[in-house]
Amino acid sequence: MTALTSAALVATLVLTGAVLLLLGAVAVEHARRGRRLAREERRRAELTPLVYAALDDDEDGAAALAGLEAAPAALDDLVLDLLPQLRGADRAALGRLLARRGVVTRAAADLSARAPWRRGRAAALLGNAADPGRTDALTALLADRAPDVRCAAARALGKAGDVRAAGPLLRALARSRRVPAGVVGMALLDLGTPVLPDLRAAVTDPPSPAAQALAADLLGLHGDVEALPLLLGLVADARRPPAVRCSAATALGRVGGPAATPALGAALAQTAVPALRHAAAEALGRIGDDAAIDLLAATVAGGDDAVRDGCADALAGAGEEGRARLAAHAWHSGRVGEAARAALSNRPRPRDARVRRAA
Amino acid sequence: MTHVLVVDDDPAIASLVAFKIGRLGARVSVESDGEAGLAAARQLRPDLVVLDWMMPRMNGLEVCAALRADPDPQVSSVPVVLLTAKAQESDVERGFVAGATDYVVKPFSPRELVTRVTAALPPGALTP
Repeated sequence: MTALTSAALVATLVLTGAVLLLLGAVAVEHARRGRRLAREERRRAELTPLVYAALDDDEDGAAALAGLEAAPAALDDLVLDLLPQLRGADRAALGRLLARRGVVTRAAADLSARAPWRRGRAAALLGNAADPGRTDALTALLADRAPDVRCAAARALGKAGDVRAAGPLLRALARSRRVPAGVVGMALLDLGTPVLPDLRAAVTDPPSPAAQALAADLLGLHGDVEALPLLLGLVADARRPPAVRCSAATALGRVGGPAATPALGAALAQTAVPALRHAAAEALGRIGDDAAIDLLAATVAGGDDAVRDGCADALAGAGEEGRARLAAHAWHSGRVGEAARAALSNRPRPRDARVRRAA
Repeated sequence: MTHVLVVDDDPAIASLVAFKIGRLGARVSVESDGEAGLAAARQLRPDLVVLDWMMPRMNGLEVCAALRADPDPQVSSVPVVLLTAKAQESDVERGFVAGATDYVVKPFSPRELVTRVTAALPPGALTP
């Protein structure tokens, strides 16, 4: 055996030994991790019924809640997983539990952390914990340099349920560091009907056109009848941006009822903005009273190609009467018949008919 | 003993709902997807079903419609409480059209859910 072969043999043995050692270390670490996960799982399983019991109103619930204050750290994850699914008194009770365990204080300190992910996580936690004392800190994060943190702060403000956040959320739509309208809208919806006065105020005295449009949308989703005169004024006001008037038209379709039909009819017939005319047509279809159906049917039959399809769709969704009027056009040749046939086939059956059939 | 079937793919929700309803003296079975939930409802014939909407394999609306169309009258008439994150007006309408007895939106209040479950059952079936 040459010296070279011997050296190669030794090197192979050393390498094999090193690989075996490494594999052994990996196996040990894997087993250790498995044991740790199993231990955490057992802990969660033990704590879960205690958390559920703590949600009861009775003495047992109060005792369980008090006993959880000194429970292991696994409890925090368990509660944080559960919190976003809950609302009402149970959510508030779990939020108080997290506050007493110091979780909320630690998260509040993390709001000024250097890493954006830590700020965002802290904001989400504080939103779930629904601690009204953190509204100002979360509001400040709406202008954070990181977009994800701004969104996390907006969502957290919605979940925290403090109505004082409504104004800052609406103003966050128009900053250079803005929050997307979808995120702000969801947060304002999460805050519920207590924000209705703020939304009405944002329609009459808007911080920005984006805030005015979103406020109109949300008033419609809430079905706020009190906002009806404001929305009628927006639709009719040609000085307003088209997006605002579109939102107002859509909202009127939800809350206006027959009282909104003349204003929507005017928007459908007299404006030059296609998006507004489509929104008005859709809203008229949603209202679906006789006057609205007459207006839509006349527009379908008329020579206005720009909104014929939208009006036909609206008629198809406006109940049996709307579909009957549309069916009368379906036999026509040319674009009127085409629009009627397409709308009828796209909307196989109106909603009210389905409801009646199921009942 | 009143028997309630809970069908939800989120184990935390399913176990919380099962715990709260179980505390009222009901026997509770849990399934984690729509297909298994439908099979369990047909086999176990529960007195009430708490049903999530968005689940793997078969969604809650399909399960609800299948329950209502079942030839066994005990299955087709079972009260169904939909427990779902789908909160739009049109979603609620679709839920009732599919045959739901009641509709609870997530995030939910366990106390409210228990009250609604109790109300959907015959008087005295559960003791709040």
